[in-house]
Amino acid sequence: MISSTRLAGLSVVVAIGALAAYVLLLRVAVVRNHPEGYVVAFAVATGLAVLAVVRARARRWPAWLALGLSTLLLAAGAWFNFVVARVPDASTALRVGERPPDFTLPDATGRPVSLGDYRGKKPVVLVFYRGYW
Amino acid sequence: MSELQGLGAELSKAEQAGVEIIAVSPDPNEQSQKLAQGLRLGYRFVADRDLAVTRRYGLVHAHGGADGQDVPRPATVVLDRDGLVRWFSVSRNFQVRPDARDVRRAVRAL
Repeated sequence: MISSTRLAGLSVVVAIGALAAYVLLLRVAVVRNHPEGYVVAFAVATGLAVLAVVRARARRWPAWLALGLSTLLLAAGAWFNFVVARVPDASTALRVGERPPDFTLPDATGRPVSLGDYRGKKPVVLVFYRGYW
Repeated sequence: MSELQGLGAELSKAEQAGVEIIAVSPDPNEQSQKLAQGLRLGYRFVADRDLAVTRRYGLVHAHGGADGQDVPRPATVVLDRDGLVRWFSVSRNFQVRPDARDVRRAVRAL
């Protein structure tokens, strides 16, 4: 049987490891596109910490520390992923096979870029994003 | 930027040369353009400061920003040579971007 302290340690490693892995591997599409992965990892860490608390006999503080940390990360992670990061679904002006609204916007040097300029010349990939982050 | 890097990595040099990638955000984009040039990504960054264009596209997430300001809904749109929409994807979670492989497939299908 694994000791309570070891379970607590394992819980902390899973929780911190998941957080570190997500941040470090954000550029890997499979990691970035499955943010629920860190929520699941925090839930696993919380489960391990609960087990550690149940099994704690003499030295109880590591188990409680692990439980506090993992619960905090689970709550924060779930809130961020399911509440903060949620983008409401709404209809767009985009229809496959149709022409989207034309526009002219300044590029980074201030020069105007018109979508219409590419018509008949080059396919275009438009990427709308929230900013520099 | 991470989604842009993913897209750049997935599209070959030839594909990048054959398609114009226009990145639209409310940022002034000097930083993004420098970074993209550093990574040798052939993007053109354009600034939609007041989100007027983003709004016309129906891609505004009202009060979605950290300070309650309007922000773009992350989206990727593939247009063919005639300027018609061939494929698009709008994110439901701002951490999630369209898989660059899907974008590549749409570009190759043009």
